Amino acid sequence: MTKPGVRQRADGDHVLLVAVAACSAALLLLFVLAPIWAILKYSFVQPDGGWGVGNYASYLVSPRFLGILRNTFEVTISVTVFTVVAAYGFAYAIERTCMPFKSALRMIALIPIFSPSLVQALGLQFLLGRNGLINRTFGTEIDIYGFWGIFIADALYAFPHAFLILATALAVSDARLHESAKCLGASAAREFWTVTMPATRYGVASAIFVVFTIVITDFGNPVVIGGNYSVLAVEIYNQVSGQANFSMGAVVGVILLLPAALAVLAEKWVARRQFSTLSAQSVPLLPTRAPARDVCWLLYSCTIALIFLVVVGVVVYASFVRLWPYNLGFTLRHYQFDVQNGIEPLWTSLQVAVMTAAMAMVFVTAAAYASHQLQVRAMRVFYFLAILPAAVPGMVLGLGYVLAFNNPSNPVYTLYGTMYLIAICNLYHYHAQGFLLAITNMKQISRTFDEASATLGGSRMTTFRRVTLPLIWPTVISVGVFFFMRSMVTLSAVIFLITPSTQLAAVSVLYLDDRGALNQAAAFAVCIMATVVAFLIVTSLVLRLFGAKTTALIR
Amino acid sequence: MFLVLKTVTKRFADLTAVAGVDLQIAEGEFVSFLGPSGCGKTTLLRLIAGLEIPDSGQIELHGRDLSALPARKRNFGVVFQSYSLFPNLTVANNVAYGLQCRKAPRALIAERVNEVLALVHLAAHAAKYPHELSGGMQQRVALARALAPQPEALLLDEPLSALDAKVRENLRAEIRELQHRLGITTIMVTHDQEEAMEMADRIVVMNQGRIEQIGSADDIYWRPSTRFVGEFIGRINILDARSWQNRLNGAAASDGEVLAIRPEHIRIVEGPTDEAVFEGTVRRAAFLGNTTRLVVEADGGEKIEIEVHGTAKGLATGTRLLFALPRASLNRLATAPR
Repeated sequence: MTKPGVRQRADGDHVLLVAVAACSAALLLLFVLAPIWAILKYSFVQPDGGWGVGNYASYLVSPRFLGILRNTFEVTISVTVFTVVAAYGFAYAIERTCMPFKSALRMIALIPIFSPSLVQALGLQFLLGRNGLINRTFGTEIDIYGFWGIFIADALYAFPHAFLILATALAVSDARLHESAKCLGASAAREFWTVTMPATRYGVASAIFVVFTIVITDFGNPVVIGGNYSVLAVEIYNQVSGQANFSMGAVVGVILLLPAALAVLAEKWVARRQFSTLSAQSVPLLPTRAPARDVCWLLYSCTIALIFLVVVGVVVYASFVRLWPYNLGFTLRHYQFDVQNGIEPLWTSLQVAVMTAAMAMVFVTAAAYASHQLQVRAMRVFYFLAILPAAVPGMVLGLGYVLAFNNPSNPVYTLYGTMYLIAICNLYHYHAQGFLLAITNMKQISRTFDEASATLGGSRMTTFRRVTLPLIWPTVISVGVFFFMRSMVTLSAVIFLITPSTQLAAVSVLYLDDRGALNQAAAFAVCIMATVVAFLIVTSLVLRLFGAKTTALIR
Repeated sequence: MFLVLKTVTKRFADLTAVAGVDLQIAEGEFVSFLGPSGCGKTTLLRLIAGLEIPDSGQIELHGRDLSALPARKRNFGVVFQSYSLFPNLTVANNVAYGLQCRKAPRALIAERVNEVLALVHLAAHAAKYPHELSGGMQQRVALARALAPQPEALLLDEPLSALDAKVRENLRAEIRELQHRLGITTIMVTHDQEEAMEMADRIVVMNQGRIEQIGSADDIYWRPSTRFVGEFIGRINILDARSWQNRLNGAAASDGEVLAIRPEHIRIVEGPTDEAVFEGTVRRAAFLGNTTRLVVEADGGEKIEIEVHGTAKGLATGTRLLFALPRASLNRLATAPR
């Protein structure tokens, strides 16, 4: 007799895996979906306390909103176009030419990743502000506050992200196609448009959506250098912190959520198509020497690198002078931090970053492991939940945390106002990127290891402990590093969650800048960057010591 | 019976990988699942190993239903095509893995590891990591790892196909010899007919999720029961019934059958014999070393392949010749499995 649909009995192994998945899902529901739900709900609470679409009705037609909306898209789209084109050139120079100093140039282009987004704006203030180097030296009257300030600062800030994606797309190419094009008599330009460009078009699309998301959700640069040119991310802050109008903040949040979510969805859709152009038979393309071309690209790349160095350099420089720009004498007094909480915020940031990294290594790895191992349809929902945070702007998530958890009847309330909730917020703010990083690496580990272990009598725990973990620990480390770096520099989500006793370094930079204490803001920013760089150096030394040389810490 | 499969079926989406397979395997037997890629042979092995769960049917070991047992409790030793040695563990630790999972005492594990590593002549490499070994050595470690916990049976999934030809041949003999010595029931999946014929006691020829024929190497070569088996194992001429039948007095094929004959069974003759004799022209002659393969166009337009031993002197392209189809060598093959 055959029994239709023979089912394997659920054994302890399976139960454990399902439990891990269920816990991860519950945490995602609590710390991602509940805040978004709170935002949605609050956006319908009218000033009179009743429910309705009144907030939207009055806000959407106000000239103020229309101006902000126009500003937001104007600056986001122009930065996106400019940055992707500029980063494509830079990535092309790095991956497809034989110019010298490639690794140094690559490192320089990544500088903004180590620093809070507003460092770019800070640097621009020192250079192009009313009392900036340029205006004082040349007697010009450039006003950087507004569109151009945000444009330059966000272009610099988003550049490394676009560069990393485009460099990956340009790094591999099928030499046979290029040879065929040359043999058929194609000019260099034609070869580019018929071979190079089509092979990287998904990378370009991916970079466009990523830059779009970064710029439209960025808060640090526009708040510092935007002047009267307001954008949505800043508007949320103004509504909530300035006017204590939580419902209106929620309305703006929902409006910002839409384009950001669409861009992320589009990016995921595009990214899935990306890696089909290469087959096992492909011959990797190696760049050939062409002195004239290489020199041109070197000039281009050095110009870009110079901009990065100048902007960050001037911040470092300003942190060591008495009073920018009137007294340029050397001093260390800005590093005494005799203001507010002194150096305390840096320690708080460090603690939060370590906490976030530690939690991420456990929870993000566990979520990725469960998603990778449990091959059932319900896990698609889980996967969606895990990458959903990518679509949620930091300002929206942060406000969501306030609205959802600043409520004594919510069990999470006990964490409210502590570092723990800030760390949790960081963890789920960047959950998608960490999750994808972990899962991509798990996919590279052959499934037959799991099967081999199972046939030898190994339980899932045994397999995980003795085989999977030893193989993925470099990934777990880089997940931790990623969260550490993000926690150190993030500003948007946490700005709503800090209290005087849990102030963070990046927020201190903003406050000091706001008060006009630019030199001290610069000193604080330098401390953040130094901490991140020191952490990276120490981690890679430790990794080297344990024989994982090839682990890329920045992705 | 040791291992019994009863109408085992496995579907993936809309593809039926294994379609109601019945099979019995005796203790100590060496059985090979042979077939083209996608025929379901690997899926069948994975079903036995517990790595896949059947949609219906039963798999019994010693009369006990295995369906409810996950792979890790079945105690089969599995060797994968890709070796799948744990890259982070030494050879010795890879081999010890299964015993450690069974919580065997430390001393016993060390003893057993040495024993099986000696069995595959790798005792000297115990402290090395898999990537420090050649492909053939890695596969021998995988074999030792599978054998260490004294499994009920050995399941080999294309164990040799990732290896170089020479290494493959040596390892074939080694596995066969080991299996004989240990008397362990072994199932090996392969797409290489020579491998199956050289190593296995019984060959299970599969096609499209079904068993076409079960038999010894002799059986499946000399007495293929279906057209698929005839064509898959070695070379065979399938004779078009209409143009050959009336000339092969009596050896007619009925509906659902074809007549077939192996190229080496066709005899080149000087003149009339008591068998049916045909005339044709050599269209192509390929010297292959121990044999020469002729493509002969029989008068009437049919092309037929004839193999003769050694060099075929005087049989260049365009030569006219007479050939006979011995009645005893003509096979009637079903076009579908019965």
